[in-house]
Amino acid sequence: MIHLWFDKGTLLLKGEIGTPYGKWDPRVGCYRIKAMHYCDVLSYLEESRIPYQDEVQKLPPLEPLKCSVELRPYQKEALSKWRHARMRGVLVLPTAAGKTFIALKAISLLKSQTLIVVPTLDLIDQWRRRVMECLSVEAGAVGGGENTVRMVTVSTYDSAYLQAELLGNKFMFIVFDEVHHLASPSYMQIAEMYIAPYRMGLTATYERSDERHALLPQLVGDPVYTVNVEELAGKHLSPYTYEKIYVRLTPEEQQTYDSQMAVFKSYLQEKGIVLKSAEDFQKFIMITGRDRRAREAFLARNRALKVALNSDAKLNLLADQLEVHKDERTLIFTLHNDLVYTISRKFLIPAVTYQTPKEERHEILENFRSGEYRAIVTSQVLDEGVDVPEASVGFILSGTGSTREYVQRLGRLLRKVEGKQARLVEMVSKETAEVTISRRRRQKRTSEALNYAPK
Amino acid sequence: MLPSELLVVWKRKGVIWPRYARLSSDNLEIASGLIEVYKQHIGEKKRVLKEFVGELEDRGHDYRFVRGLSFLLDRNSVFKCNDRVNPVDLRRKTFQATEKFGLPTKPEQRSQIIEKIASELKITPEMVEEFFYADLDSESILEKFDPLSPQELLEKYNLSLTQTLLFDSTELNFTTAGNWQKIFYTVKKLGLIYEAYKDDGFWVKIDGPASLFKLTRRYGTAIAKLLPFIVANPEWTVEAKILWKYTNEICDFKIESWKHHAVLRSYLPPISYDSIVEENFAARFEALESGWRLRREPEPVLAGKQVIIPDFSLEREGIKVYMEIVGFWTMEYLLRKIEKLKKIDVNMFVAVNETLACEKLANLEKHARLNIIYYRDRIPLAPILRYLKGAFQGIQAEQAGFLKNLPVIFTEPFVKFEEFAARIGVSVDAVRAALTEKTPPGYILLPNGLVKKDKLEQIGKKVEEQINRSGRLPLSESIKIAETEGVEDAASAIEALGYRIVWHGISTEKAEVIKPKNKGN
Repeated sequence: MIHLWFDKGTLLLKGEIGTPYGKWDPRVGCYRIKAMHYCDVLSYLEESRIPYQDEVQKLPPLEPLKCSVELRPYQKEALSKWRHARMRGVLVLPTAAGKTFIALKAISLLKSQTLIVVPTLDLIDQWRRRVMECLSVEAGAVGGGENTVRMVTVSTYDSAYLQAELLGNKFMFIVFDEVHHLASPSYMQIAEMYIAPYRMGLTATYERSDERHALLPQLVGDPVYTVNVEELAGKHLSPYTYEKIYVRLTPEEQQTYDSQMAVFKSYLQEKGIVLKSAEDFQKFIMITGRDRRAREAFLARNRALKVALNSDAKLNLLADQLEVHKDERTLIFTLHNDLVYTISRKFLIPAVTYQTPKEERHEILENFRSGEYRAIVTSQVLDEGVDVPEASVGFILSGTGSTREYVQRLGRLLRKVEGKQARLVEMVSKETAEVTISRRRRQKRTSEALNYAPK
Repeated sequence: MLPSELLVVWKRKGVIWPRYARLSSDNLEIASGLIEVYKQHIGEKKRVLKEFVGELEDRGHDYRFVRGLSFLLDRNSVFKCNDRVNPVDLRRKTFQATEKFGLPTKPEQRSQIIEKIASELKITPEMVEEFFYADLDSESILEKFDPLSPQELLEKYNLSLTQTLLFDSTELNFTTAGNWQKIFYTVKKLGLIYEAYKDDGFWVKIDGPASLFKLTRRYGTAIAKLLPFIVANPEWTVEAKILWKYTNEICDFKIESWKHHAVLRSYLPPISYDSIVEENFAARFEALESGWRLRREPEPVLAGKQVIIPDFSLEREGIKVYMEIVGFWTMEYLLRKIEKLKKIDVNMFVAVNETLACEKLANLEKHARLNIIYYRDRIPLAPILRYLKGAFQGIQAEQAGFLKNLPVIFTEPFVKFEEFAARIGVSVDAVRAALTEKTPPGYILLPNGLVKKDKLEQIGKKVEEQINRSGRLPLSESIKIAETEGVEDAASAIEALGYRIVWHGISTEKAEVIKPKNKGN
């Protein structure tokens, strides 16, 4: 008789025969099989009429679900495509297109033990709330200090990866939210170390710059349904306008910026270093450990950027803008934590960063959602997938400009209110982009831009 | 263990190793400087402390080194948030006030709100500002600092550096001199898999279940956690494969105790006994002075690719008997253990606690031939000694039989029993017994060996000459004579020739060889 059981994220098979999926493990004297092949091994044994004893699954008890989700037509289509692909595959839909609801509907159809894997702790809370609202069942959570496994459980990618040895045989269905994360070398092991035969991936950005999304079909299934922003815009999503406001540094700030940046640039020039990509930059950081002058140059650059970022001029501009939009729901974004706290203190508005205590973060977001708080200032934590509905104005305070993708992502957090278009404003210290051009030319360019000077 | 951005390495031609901080006066100075900074900042904010540390970073050292030391010192510190005002409550009240009075875009509006909050909470406006984000990590206060010596700090740093490098390891191979039970227990607890093998000593390879399918860093963190248990011993060698993430190449990493002991030391407590039963047994057994050497946690015994680590080994003249103490057990556990023990080809007995027996002991009787000894509170010595005596005699008898049939012709002038025994792998007593019973022709039996007859006669002749010439002969001189003939055990040889040795103290210079009256020429 063949014995099959789960061993720390893999399957072990003991018996007279091997399987096409197994590999002989001399360390333990058994065949070892990737957990993701669980279903394949079972079908092989069944088809070959080999008697076996299966002790793999250790599933949490089932709980009754009540599904109150009504799908929109395109959501229905997405779900049916997925069902026809033997309940495996990736759905590519833009943010706010209601991916969550498709997954919840799938859970209610399968009625199996389900793990939902998400990138951030905020998303754990959000999914749990949705599970409660739509399926009338309490969801367990793994991550952020919590560790309860229930029929429907939500986990971060980190926890699902780290605890694969313990969780791998507890679910029959896995939903990967923001599934593009799954293709990273470590996270892909989540797909490999869990037995779940049913899999669903959700994302708005299927392709990765490192091409690793090519791995997703074997891990989750093929992309079975794709709809893009343009197809949905206006109908289901709220459009927004985007504008850039250039800010001039104060003379003192400008002087500091120029002199510090000159230190950095002259070092790069002297050494013939070109920083084009993130990788170049990573390599440069490595050099700063060895080379004292590189380190000094790097610190000078950081000082310059800090000046540009925390410019008084920019904060004054923000004050004016906040005055203009006094009664609107407002989100302020900046990538830098220090600046988040500066703004929070200056305007006495709530801040949300990775350092914000969990309860307080929850309370702030809840109050923002209900309308009790009108404005929030935040760093990256909200920029992926978290629903912060009904903000109609967004401000981005960056150093020298943000990437197009980043801006788009933030833009999708905005909603139009009472027919009025949402507005996203980025504030950039324009003059700091290049130090080599002359001051005169710079002045000219600044006035060409929105000509916004500090008071 | 350090954050990976603080890892400092050298890498050359596929070999990688951490840049250890030598215990040089320079490095000790940095370490003690940092320790001083921490001592002086008790009661200060973490932000202020870190600014000071930041200054040390930029005085020509590798900033990652200074930051790494500071990271370790943080772990010897207690930082506490100011608890006079609850910052979360303070903020909530303020944000609510902002909603009520409107978002302050001008300084006057802002100070109005702050003053309102201050009077509501009965504190000053300055305190509102001070405590607004007092719960941020950087605002916490260094409350307690547990100082350590600069040398300890550097050693801790080096161990942490090694562990940080091992985060990226795909496998680890090691050999070490002890602590085996703890190591294998930890391997199991960490979800790792080991494979034991012999290769110039006893080696163990460590990786994890999924390593079978592909190279993975997945088990790196667990491997790093195992390291302190290995280097806690006086002797070890550790080799690892590092999957270097920046270049995606596999690098070799190797450290050895004789080279790295000065910089790398683990601070684990010395190995203690698992139970009072073990400790008590060891103490009583050693008090017996039975001639058997007791060793705790001896080198593991290979059972296929797995190992058994007996609790004790008892050794006497090349004979080794293992002992395993089973405290708490179930029948299933015991049978599994016995099954494993059957696979190995060594002498072993198992002491089983009968008061803790979970099943009927009668079931065990059929396994009695596996040298099971029962005990209640303490392990009885009598049956063990009986067993040892039996084992010893049995092995001796076996060896005697082996020796009897050993076709050996001696040619050397002197055959030392001890050396011969070691050469053929039997006990000295067995050799002595066999050669006493059947002394090879042409040889004469001495207490510690055999001497060739003609050599002995040659020695006798020279000794006689010397005595006749000078009337006396110091023992030291006679030893020289014996040595030129290739005979080591001069005193025995000389006594075998009928001379007497008179000692005047312990020096061979002062001892004299005397010709007894009744000895003729």
